[in-house]
Amino acid sequence: MQLFFDQVLNGIGTGAVYSSVALALVIIYRTTGLLNFAQGEMALFSTFVTWWLTDQGLGIWPALLGSMVFSFFAGALIERVIIRPVEAAKNPLNVVIVTLGLFLALNALCQLIFIKPGQEALQMPLMFPKGDISVLGLDIPKAILGRAIVLAIECAVLYVLLQKTKIGLALRAVASNPESSRLVGINPGNMLMLGWGIAAVLGAIAGTMAASRGTGGFDTSLMQQVLVYAFAAAALGGFDSPVGAVISGLIVGIARALTIQYVDFLQGIELVVPLGLIFIVLLFKPNGLFGRNIVERV
Amino acid sequence: MSDPTNLPDTPPAFATPAVPAAGAGRKVPWLRIALGLIVAVVALMLPYYNDPETNQIFCQVMYLALAAMGLNLLTGYNGQVSLGHGAFFGIGAFTAAILTVDHGWMIEATFPVAAVLAAVVGVAIGFPALRLKGLYLALITLGLAVLFPLVVKKFVEGPGGVPLLKPKRSQVGSMVDFWADDIYRYYVCLAILAVLFLLAWNLVRGRMGRAMVAVRDQEVAASTVGIGVANVKVWSFALSAAYAGVAGAMSTYVDRTADASNPIIYFQRSIEFLIAVVIGGAATIGGPLLGAMLLVALRRRTEGTEAMAPALLGGALIIVVYVLPDGIVGGLRRLGAWIRGRTSGSAPPGAAAEPTPSSPAPSPT
Amino acid sequence: MDTKRTPRLRRTLVLLLALVALVAASCSGRSEDTGGGGGGSEGGGGGGDGESGAVVDTADCPDTGTAGIEDGTIKLASSFPQSGLTSAFAQISKGYLAYFDKVNADGGVEVAGKKYKIEVVAKDDEYKPATTAQNIESEVGSDGTDAFAVFNVVGTANNVAIRDDLNELCVPNIFAATGSPVWGNTSYPWTIGSTLAPYTVEAKAFADYLKENKPDAKVAMLVQNDDFGKAYEEGFKQQIEGSDITVTQVKTYEAGTDEVTSEVTSLKASGADTFFNGATLLACPNALNAASDQGWDAVTFVSGTCISKTLMGIAGEAADGVFATTNIKDPLNPAFADDPAMKEYNETLAEYGASDVDPENGIVAYGYTQGALLVEILQSLDTLDRGTLMNKMYDLKDLTGGLLLDGVEVNTSPDDRFLAEDVQMIQYNAANKYFENVGDVLDFEGTTPDITPEDLIES
Repeated sequence: MQLFFDQVLNGIGTGAVYSSVALALVIIYRTTGLLNFAQGEMALFSTFVTWWLTDQGLGIWPALLGSMVFSFFAGALIERVIIRPVEAAKNPLNVVIVTLGLFLALNALCQLIFIKPGQEALQMPLMFPKGDISVLGLDIPKAILGRAIVLAIECAVLYVLLQKTKIGLALRAVASNPESSRLVGINPGNMLMLGWGIAAVLGAIAGTMAASRGTGGFDTSLMQQVLVYAFAAAALGGFDSPVGAVISGLIVGIARALTIQYVDFLQGIELVVPLGLIFIVLLFKPNGLFGRNIVERV
Repeated sequence: MSDPTNLPDTPPAFATPAVPAAGAGRKVPWLRIALGLIVAVVALMLPYYNDPETNQIFCQVMYLALAAMGLNLLTGYNGQVSLGHGAFFGIGAFTAAILTVDHGWMIEATFPVAAVLAAVVGVAIGFPALRLKGLYLALITLGLAVLFPLVVKKFVEGPGGVPLLKPKRSQVGSMVDFWADDIYRYYVCLAILAVLFLLAWNLVRGRMGRAMVAVRDQEVAASTVGIGVANVKVWSFALSAAYAGVAGAMSTYVDRTADASNPIIYFQRSIEFLIAVVIGGAATIGGPLLGAMLLVALRRRTEGTEAMAPALLGGALIIVVYVLPDGIVGGLRRLGAWIRGRTSGSAPPGAAAEPTPSSPAPSPT
Repeated sequence: MDTKRTPRLRRTLVLLLALVALVAASCSGRSEDTGGGGGGSEGGGGGGDGESGAVVDTADCPDTGTAGIEDGTIKLASSFPQSGLTSAFAQISKGYLAYFDKVNADGGVEVAGKKYKIEVVAKDDEYKPATTAQNIESEVGSDGTDAFAVFNVVGTANNVAIRDDLNELCVPNIFAATGSPVWGNTSYPWTIGSTLAPYTVEAKAFADYLKENKPDAKVAMLVQNDDFGKAYEEGFKQQIEGSDITVTQVKTYEAGTDEVTSEVTSLKASGADTFFNGATLLACPNALNAASDQGWDAVTFVSGTCISKTLMGIAGEAADGVFATTNIKDPLNPAFADDPAMKEYNETLAEYGASDVDPENGIVAYGYTQGALLVEILQSLDTLDRGTLMNKMYDLKDLTGGLLLDGVEVNTSPDDRFLAEDVQMIQYNAANKYFENVGDVLDFEGTTPDITPEDLIES
């Protein structure tokens, strides 16, 4: 039983990262209707910025804060300077290509700027102390508990921001009807930048968390390993549901851990499990577990 | 042609309409015929004036163009976005490799088999894809491309214990005495490319093509006028996969390598195809070829810059999409219209061009 | 279920199954090694070519034996990742280039009474085998008339992708930079490995250590899901046959991922008291750390691909006391500070090394050693042509050089196609941040064919 529980905990540990990235994907999708393929690599860049700040002598938490601030502005800037001019052509495929271009470029830039030749990897200081905490007789690693708490805080802040503030209202208004929102005095452009900025901040947290697990060792493949699972989580949850993204991220993480433990013939192709899961869910609920139904009009 | 709609809930349509707006009673398009002839002659003469390495690169452009054409049929004309064409490409590549390496087939004979196998898998994906829209389809197919090398790796054990198969040099040699190997291969690729592009051209101008575009632009409306939406979609998938499969077999022929040792290689292929389609011009016949040319050219330009290469390629892509929002073909059409506008001195620039893409703003739901 | 399926049959099967469905193929389980059992060492002459004592028969070769030697320069071709994730491997080349530069500055290498400079042309392949094949074809020429030989191409799949052509063209592919046992394949006499000990030799060293110090060890293995992992798994299992050592569980992980916590949890739960960590790159320190976090106190071995100072530094305390093997002097180990070879290495790197080279990096030391050995070998040739060089590669006697550990000698013969099989156990000291050498050099010279399942070599 302890083994099962341990694997579930491992799953939550990785799942928390999938959830964070999925959450970022969902935020961008809700505000702009786009799937940002570069989300993972933007998060990677933020992660390197966090690392760079710690390398300058900052503690991990202040460094993360600094990276979040940087990421907010960088994300907004990317929206304004790179995405919006292309979006004007009204061809969603063009934006897809641009995000793919960003994907390639950012990954290469991280390697160029931050990694010295011959260095296989960098090391991020740990965000959480090592060791276990005993809860109701079960041993829970502090690091996994810490990640779960960070994820919970993210959710709470996002909920308040989106549902309880004026800005959140404006964001949602732009998402559901840009034309009308303009009429009531909201600047849709600013809201798009805001959406990208928030997503980039979520990415910074997700990337830093991903890097700071275990040994803290990471390289430029950090987010590519995560991205497919995060996509799976976002799709499973139904692209427009933050709650769905978080829960699905955890489901995907736990499913992966349990597959590794119990399903030997899937060794090496564990990826089948989340994909199969989405496939089945989408066959019955085409908009994901938590997505809204769309009524198509002609 | 298509009627610009602005309903927020319709699925986004992609790029420009299929064929040039055929001006009624247009005169014989001498310019086009002359241009076509020049292109044909250049294409036929090209291998004689280049070294084998360059001819191999031409062949790489051609299989990239073919796979992009396949994706274009599905994504450009039919509106189903697939990021899984790398997997169909891989199926073709490994079909050709297994049949030649293990069974001594002539590699040329494996192309139809690759097409059929890829098409069958395409149908198998196409049916469930009927339930999936837009992003969800893109993601499921992306998963397919990521999964493909892992599955191959698990079940294919090549020489040296690595999932990599290589036909012998003699197996891809020339069968015509007066053509060197590389020239012969070039002509084989060119012939396949020409036939399949003509086929695609014919197809999109015909009933099937109109049905595909109708399903893309107005799925529900299409079904009300008697188009079998499911049929059209699944057929598009199968056909598109078959193109990618042939392209994969061609890659084994040209590069003499079918490789699954790198876990992201077929995902990268998927991306390449999509890039070629979009920068060439989605839903055009010439687009995939021009896109493939530009992509390979960009890659060659950035080569040798070591670590800078992917950064430059990524940056170049962004710029290309920015400068040519409707692809190279769209850009050429605008240029053509601008020249015509100048010479006749009437219509303002751009107005004579094709109607701009009719897609509404993508809706967030 | 029939067990004895040839790979070819299996591939065909897969092709057929692909018709039905992509995933349904799971019935085709991994076939156990069929070649193991008794002494499956290769017989006398190699693959039809080996008449008249020489391994390489140049009778059928094109007349290009001296191609690539012009104006007193020997042109070598190579291909390795210089950009992207695996670009760290490019450091290997900085080692041998520094050595070659030094030799060139001294007038060159003397072969049969004439001095030659050594030039290396290398292209970036991003670790992709198809690109490697293209690079090598353009460097060697499709008729084999350009570069003289291919030197130190990095990666198993990458070398597999070029060995057919080079065999056909009779172009030497020497010092292939991986520890795969497949470089002993007698059908490919024009390809031979480097001084990286074959992975199965590492497994043998670990097995021997356990037999002596922990004869009832229960071993859990973490290996990559490819030929690299298979060599560890099958090599180790063959070595413990007949002993009381048992393997409790083998977990494979996908190459390219470094999240292996769940695998380690599973391995620990199998009740093992010994951990064979065959992971590489970041997965290796991550696995060590996961084991330590979970309080798994096991005797631990790590792969020879994991002993770099970066990876071990990342593992930190979790790596304290782990064992590995090597046959090269570690530049970080102060015990070698006064070693003449180490001094020469440091001086050479200081004078001729590229600006971005890190002499403390173990793979630079490895590259330097390959350069030194190649120069030794070239100097011993009677005539400078491809056939002679290649035959010499199968006739090396007690060759030493570079930073090879004292006592490690390179010996080859037509029946022993592995350069350096002698290794020494090393143990990591986390406080000092380097590996300490343990015990004597283990003499495994000439044993690779016996300790390696035959299908791993002849494939």
